[in-house]
Amino acid sequence: MTTPHRDTLGRALFVALVAGVIVGAGVTSLFAQQPPPTWKQGQPDVMKESALAPVPQPPAPLAAEKIPLNKIKVPPGFTVELWASGISNARAMTLGSKGTMFVSSRVVGNVYALVDKGGTREVKVIAKGLDIPNGVAFRDGALYVAAQNRILKYEGIEDKLDNPGEPVVVIDSLPKHQPHGWKYLAFGPDGKLYFNIGAPGNIVMPPETNANISRINADGTGFEYVARGVRNSVGFDWHPVTKELYFTNHGRDWLGEDVPNDTLHHVSGRNVPHFGYPYCHQGDILDPDFGQGHACSEFNPPLLKLGPHVAPIGMIFYTGNMFPPQYKNRIFIAERGSWNRTQKLGYGVTTVTLAMGQPPVQEGFASGWLENNQPWGRPAYLFQMPDGSLLVSDDYAGAIYRISYSR
Amino acid sequence: MFALALIASSMSVRAADVESGQSKSQPCAGCHGADGNATITGTPSLAGHPAYYTHWQLLMFRNEKRRDPQMTPMATNLSDDDMADLAAYYAAQPSRPRQGRPTMDAATRETGERLTATHHCTSCHGPGLMGQQAVPRLVGQDQAYLLKRLRGYKTETTSDLEGQMTMAAQPLTMDDIEMLAKYIASLPSE
Repeated sequence: MTTPHRDTLGRALFVALVAGVIVGAGVTSLFAQQPPPTWKQGQPDVMKESALAPVPQPPAPLAAEKIPLNKIKVPPGFTVELWASGISNARAMTLGSKGTMFVSSRVVGNVYALVDKGGTREVKVIAKGLDIPNGVAFRDGALYVAAQNRILKYEGIEDKLDNPGEPVVVIDSLPKHQPHGWKYLAFGPDGKLYFNIGAPGNIVMPPETNANISRINADGTGFEYVARGVRNSVGFDWHPVTKELYFTNHGRDWLGEDVPNDTLHHVSGRNVPHFGYPYCHQGDILDPDFGQGHACSEFNPPLLKLGPHVAPIGMIFYTGNMFPPQYKNRIFIAERGSWNRTQKLGYGVTTVTLAMGQPPVQEGFASGWLENNQPWGRPAYLFQMPDGSLLVSDDYAGAIYRISYSR
Repeated sequence: MFALALIASSMSVRAADVESGQSKSQPCAGCHGADGNATITGTPSLAGHPAYYTHWQLLMFRNEKRRDPQMTPMATNLSDDDMADLAAYYAAQPSRPRQGRPTMDAATRETGERLTATHHCTSCHGPGLMGQQAVPRLVGQDQAYLLKRLRGYKTETTSDLEGQMTMAAQPLTMDDIEMLAKYIASLPSE
C-alpha cells in the first residue's frame, strides 16, 4: 500500500471543516477571507500583529559532538548520556522482543530501527515517505505504525530490518487531516490498540469523528471512542495498578500567554467522558466563541493543569527499580515546549505524583533544552528500558538521551 | 546558539559551506543554472531561496516524501552536509528575473492582489513573498513551475512538509491557480 488512499469520508469531512471554518468566521461570501494557515487559525484581531509562529523544524539532526549534554540538568544522583543521535525528527519509541528499538518521526516521514552494534547504535531507516508516522507499537513480532489516517503492520520485522517489505494495512479509514493528524499508538492492558484523533485545527468545531482518543482491536475491527472533547493528545499510558488510562492534552492557541493550560487527564469507569473541547478549556474557561450557551460544569475537568503552552507529549508511568523508590508509579511527561508564548515554557521533563485522596503534585525533573528563550532541542517522548533507565527522545536535535540513577 | 529570527539561516550540523556548496552544485547547473537562476520552462530557480527550504526539499526527495523522476536520483546520494552546503550556496545567490516572464496587466494585478490577500499568502511567504525559514521564495519563480506546484497541492498529488500548502490550495479553483501563478511570476524580482 504505497499510494495514498483517498478516503471519501475523509474528503467530505475536510470539505465540511473548511466550510465550517468559513461559516464560523462569520463569512458567507465566496470572495471573502479564506481560512488562514493552520497555525494562525483562531488568532483574534487584537493579536494579529503578533510575531509568534511555530518553531521551524531543522532539516538535519545535530551531530553528536555538537549536542550540549552538559546543559541538561537533572536531580542529584541522576546522569544524562547520549544514547543515540543522527535520528532526524526522532519521536516515539518502542522496543521489539529481540531488542530492536523502533523510533518514529513526524514531518520527516521515516520510521527507524536502532540496532546494537557492540556499544554503538546503528540507525536504519526501515520505512520512509510515510505521512506523519508518529505512532509505533510492537506486539507478537510485528511493528504497528500509525501514519495519519492509517495504521500499518510490519510483520516479523526484526528478522528483516534490511528488507521490511510492504506492510499490512490494519485500518485506513481514520479521518484525514494534517493539523493534529499525528497519532500516538499504544497497546492497552486489554490488548486493544489505542490512538488519538486530534481536532482538525486550533479552535474549530470538530466533526463527530475527531477530538478524541479511540481504540480498535489489533486486527482493525471494533472501533470505539474512549474519551471525547480532547483537542489533541499525543501521549498516554495506563496506571500500573488500576490499569486506568491517563493522557496529556494540548490546549488551544491564541487565547493568551497564560491560558489555557495544557492538561493531564484520567479516564475511569465505563462511560466515555467529554473533556470540554471546543466549548470549555482546562476545565474552567469557556471558549469565547464556542462556549456561548454552555457551562464548563457540563464537562469532565482535567486531572491537573500542567502549565500554559508547555506542550506535553510523551508520558509514562515509571515502574522500574533503578530510580529511587519515590519514583515508583510516578508519571513522567516530556514537554516539547512553547511557540505561542513570548517567554517559552516547557522544553524539559516533568513528573506528576498521584496519591490517594490528595491533589496530584507536579515537579520538574529535567531541564536545559531552552537557553535564552531559544531551544537547541525539544524533548518529545519517553521510554523505560528493561534496566529501569529512562530514554528521552528529542525531535529537534534528532537524538535520544538516557537518564540513569546510581547511589 | 540558534537564531530563530526571521532571517534565512541554515541550522546544519556544522556551519554550512557556501564554497563547498558551489562546487557540489555542478551536477545541478545543467537544469537549475550555475547560480540557481534557471532558464528552462518548468524548472524552478533556486537562487535566493531560504537555505532551510532548499535543504528540506532535498531531504524530502531523498526520503521519498516528494517525488520527481529527475530529482529523486539526484538526491539519493546526498549527505546531510551536502544538502546544507548546497542550500547555503543557493541562498547566497542573487535572484534574477526569469526570461519570458508574463507581464503584469491591470486584471492580473487586481485578481492576484485579491487572491494573495484572501488566501493569506504573506502569512507564511513573508510580506514580499521572499520566503523565510522552511517556506520558499515565490518572487522570481517560473510560471509553469508555480502552476505545477499549486495544482499538485490542490489535487493532493504532491507532498509538503506539514500539509500547510495542501490545505491552502483546497479553496482555490483551477482558474484562481492560473491567475495566481501568472501574478506571482510577473512580480518584479528584487
